[in-house]
Amino acid sequence: MSRFRRFLRTPEAVAGAIILAALIAMALSASLLFPGDPQAIAGPALLPPFQDWSLPLGTDRLGRDVLAELFHGARTSLAVGLAAAAAALVVGSVVGTLAGFADGLVDEVLMRITEAFQTVPSFLLALAFVSVVGPSLGIVVIAIALGTWTGPARVARAEVLSIRERDYVASARAVGMHPLAIAFREVLPNALPPVLAMSSVIVAAAILTEAALSFLGLGDPNRVTWGGMIAEGRAVLRTAPFLSIVPGIALVLTVLGVYLAGEGVVETTAVRRGLS
Amino acid sequence: MSLLTVSNLTKRYPRGGKSIAAVDDVSFHIDPGETLALAGPSGSGKSTIARLVLRLIEPDAGRIEFEDNDFLALSGASLRARRARLQTVFQDPLAAFNPRATVARVLDDPLRIHGIASRSERPRRIAALLERVGLAAELASRAIHEISGGQRQRVAIARAIATKPSLIVLDEAVSALDVSVRGQILHLLLDLQRQERIAYLFISHDLGVVRAVAHRVILLDAGRIAESGDARAVIDAPRSAIGKALLAAAPRLHRTRP
Ligand SMILES: Nc1ncnc2c1ncn2[C@@H]1O[C@H](COP(=O)(O)OP(=O)(O)OP(=O)(O)O)[C@@H](O)[C@H]1O
Ligand SMILES: [Mg+2]
Repeated sequence: MSRFRRFLRTPEAVAGAIILAALIAMALSASLLFPGDPQAIAGPALLPPFQDWSLPLGTDRLGRDVLAELFHGARTSLAVGLAAAAAALVVGSVVGTLAGFADGLVDEVLMRITEAFQTVPSFLLALAFVSVVGPSLGIVVIAIALGTWTGPARVARAEVLSIRERDYVASARAVGMHPLAIAFREVLPNALPPVLAMSSVIVAAAILTEAALSFLGLGDPNRVTWGGMIAEGRAVLRTAPFLSIVPGIALVLTVLGVYLAGEGVVETTAVRRGLS
Repeated sequence: MSLLTVSNLTKRYPRGGKSIAAVDDVSFHIDPGETLALAGPSGSGKSTIARLVLRLIEPDAGRIEFEDNDFLALSGASLRARRARLQTVFQDPLAAFNPRATVARVLDDPLRIHGIASRSERPRRIAALLERVGLAAELASRAIHEISGGQRQRVAIARAIATKPSLIVLDEAVSALDVSVRGQILHLLLDLQRQERIAYLFISHDLGVVRAVAHRVILLDAGRIAESGDARAVIDAPRSAIGKALLAAAPRLHRTRP
């Protein structure tokens, strides 16, 4: 419990956690509070915010409810961000562990592949992948993960390289354990903490990448996304700036919240590990 | 026929541009139920020999025959299966276990890997192993870092005997323990040897301990065998320079000499 209390004593972490909790609440309650299609027309077009209390944040160019879109967009942002980060962390840890544990050719090949992925800017990679395969939620997740798994892979490999020299790995070999079992049951779990420490940055970056893809019109067309909303609002930026500002603020707060809460968790657990 | 026969074993490591022999043309054998000690100053190659015999590292030259088989010819699954007969206990009992492990998991591994007991039978086998090394069966659910150093070394011994090995390599296995615990662990090892006829390759820098537990001793110096023979005879009256130096550095033994 002291870990939780230490977390509570860090104001940034608490602020991050509150934002994150609000975001999760928005995502979960989206279809309860705003049942039906958020892309359906709900009122007159370009209604400014705070005019009509049934449409508190007004409507966009087509008369769609901005608040409903915001709630449903939270869902997409969170789902894509978490799924892409999870995929990147899993793939990265597995590749890094295999590379670090198998020496020689396997390590060489895996690290060359990692380097090849790293030389291409991750956003360009995502952009190219989506434009070739076509936009859908799953493809967007894969596209983002494609550019982010290399970081976790390098960290996992470095950690595995140091862990595999420890006595307990030699013990496991002497007992007759299979090398893959040693790599994934004995070594990987102990190599994970520094990899997981990267997750807040990875989730935040994934959410931003998703927004950027949607902004460029490469998001899933069947879903409301914040990036798509900003792009929509751009056409009427002078007359109705709120259409871009509202989802923009939501995006900034979300990335900030994820980052702060994630760093808070890492910090408090790291302190605990340092003490024990 | 001896249990383990090592012939002309050599292991080189690169150092400062040239290669240095950590183990240089070493030959010895161990009989069933026998304790052979390796003693020598720090860096003389004791641990390297232990790791070579355990196939944790590969030699540059030499042969290892274990239970009448060419041990160096084994690889993959056949090597892993044969490891059941050749176990080890490391010096630092905390470092030798996965920091996340529990006592039960540590003992479950060898039983599972070598198919010694079915899943339902294993808890009973684990309890029996713990009892065999003088620990309470309730200890099984504890995490490795929640038990004392002496208890941990007993768990390490329990893991080593789980597969009914014929040879256990003990690399400074009692050196990290304090004196009273050391005596108990040595006692346990001797007891196991008497009952199960397990042979030990016993590595120690403590000549007093070597004299008390080993049948024969090999004194190493810079990777080569300097002297070997009956443990008491060699330690009481070493002929090699390194043997004399080691004895002079062991005050307790020195005093008890006539
Ligand atoms: N992985 C390695 N790489 C390079 N040199 C090594 C390696 N392992 C051992 N050596 C060298 O081989 C020699 C023998 O080392 P070893 O660990 O076998 O000595 P030891 O007799 O066990 O010493 P100690 O009593 O300190 O444990 C030393 O000079 C050591 O520096
Ligand atoms: Mg050593």
